[in-house]
Amino acid sequence: MMSGRTCSSGHVVQAQKLVDQLRVEAGMERIKISLTAADLVRFCQDHRRSDPLLTGISASSNPFKDKKTCRLL
Amino acid sequence: MAAEKAEMDALKKECDGLRAQIEAARKAVNDSSMSGAAGGVASVGRVQLKLRKTLKGHLAKIYAMHWSADSRQMVSASQDGKLLIWDTFTGNKLVAVPLKSAWVMSVAFAPSGNLVASGGLDNMCTVYNIKAASPKTLRELDAHTGYLSCCRFLSDSEILTASGDTTCCLWDLETGKQKIIFTNHIGDCMSLALSGDMNTFISGACDSLAKLWDLREGTCKQTFSGHTSDINAISFFPSGNAVITGSDDCSCKMYDLRSDQEVIGYQDTSLNAGVTSLALSNSGRLIFAGYDDFNCHIWDSLKGEKVGVLSGHDNRVSCTGVPEDGMGVCTGSWDSFLKLWN
Repeated sequence: MMSGRTCSSGHVVQAQKLVDQLRVEAGMERIKISLTAADLVRFCQDHRRSDPLLTGISASSNPFKDKKTCRLL
Repeated sequence: MAAEKAEMDALKKECDGLRAQIEAARKAVNDSSMSGAAGGVASVGRVQLKLRKTLKGHLAKIYAMHWSADSRQMVSASQDGKLLIWDTFTGNKLVAVPLKSAWVMSVAFAPSGNLVASGGLDNMCTVYNIKAASPKTLRELDAHTGYLSCCRFLSDSEILTASGDTTCCLWDLETGKQKIIFTNHIGDCMSLALSGDMNTFISGACDSLAKLWDLREGTCKQTFSGHTSDINAISFFPSGNAVITGSDDCSCKMYDLRSDQEVIGYQDTSLNAGVTSLALSNSGRLIFAGYDDFNCHIWDSLKGEKVGVLSGHDNRVSCTGVPEDGMGVCTGSWDSFLKLWN
């Protein structure tokens, strides 16, 4: 039979872990959204020409398009 | 007993104080929004992708798929008890891997192309060598006490797993042993994604939280909240500075890692279905999100608008993936088919 003491110190250990984790997360240096959002926008813009799903893919360079065979009649 | 209570009260007070501190710090950098930053960006217009191929071969629901690093091969997993490796250029099946347990939930291709891994309700992650004359089981990673929801290779010698037991785990494939166990979620872990530099990874769980982890230290660095139900899908934005999540609450969200908060959400009152999976186009501009409503909806990541839809499946879209060269999107469904679009 576990003593009441052992049970409650388990709670304390858990609570301490939560506090330790929050301390780690609280300690972070955060950067203004005006800067970080602008960076995300800039990344999209800088890479739009190398995004085939944005620019479109020509039939001849489309790897998934079923190539139809030509028959000379 | 009184001493314990006093200790608990003190810890609770510290906890509340730290939470308030974090909220204040987030508020202090919340000086703008994504709509503000994206105001001057041209609209992408309507994104209309065509169905190029339907891959038929599985006999039951498809639960997962993963592209090979060569952007040509792809592996899919179905509860018909098989993994199929496809040549997506021809539509041919290259390899069939019979599974010991049909209850598969996740599949992964190693960057080398030599190995695939899968797992599910068997609580294990099984790694197969697919370059052998016939697929050979290399390792059975057996230590999770809950289902395997997601797995991703770092290399042929290390793999990361996410489990219904609320933990994620880094395994050494040479010894078959756990290297690091990542504990912090209080709900089933459903999905994970590796950063490009492999120093960090993100996880999404049924506790509605997304967490960023240091892969080598084993510690949780950041926690992102906001979703009101299970997070089923998670992915890094290609720059590595943001994370996109998809949830049973029918929305997707983008969290910026450096501002430590949500910068934009993707939801629509007409969309009343949970998000099962998601993938981004190469520039990060388009989000392909698979939903329970049988469709994959396309979102403009910067403007938060729905810009297209991939329709064609006859059941839930369970998995979505864009290959490294960004040349298309693959959707997999409970209707037993995979579809390739671009």
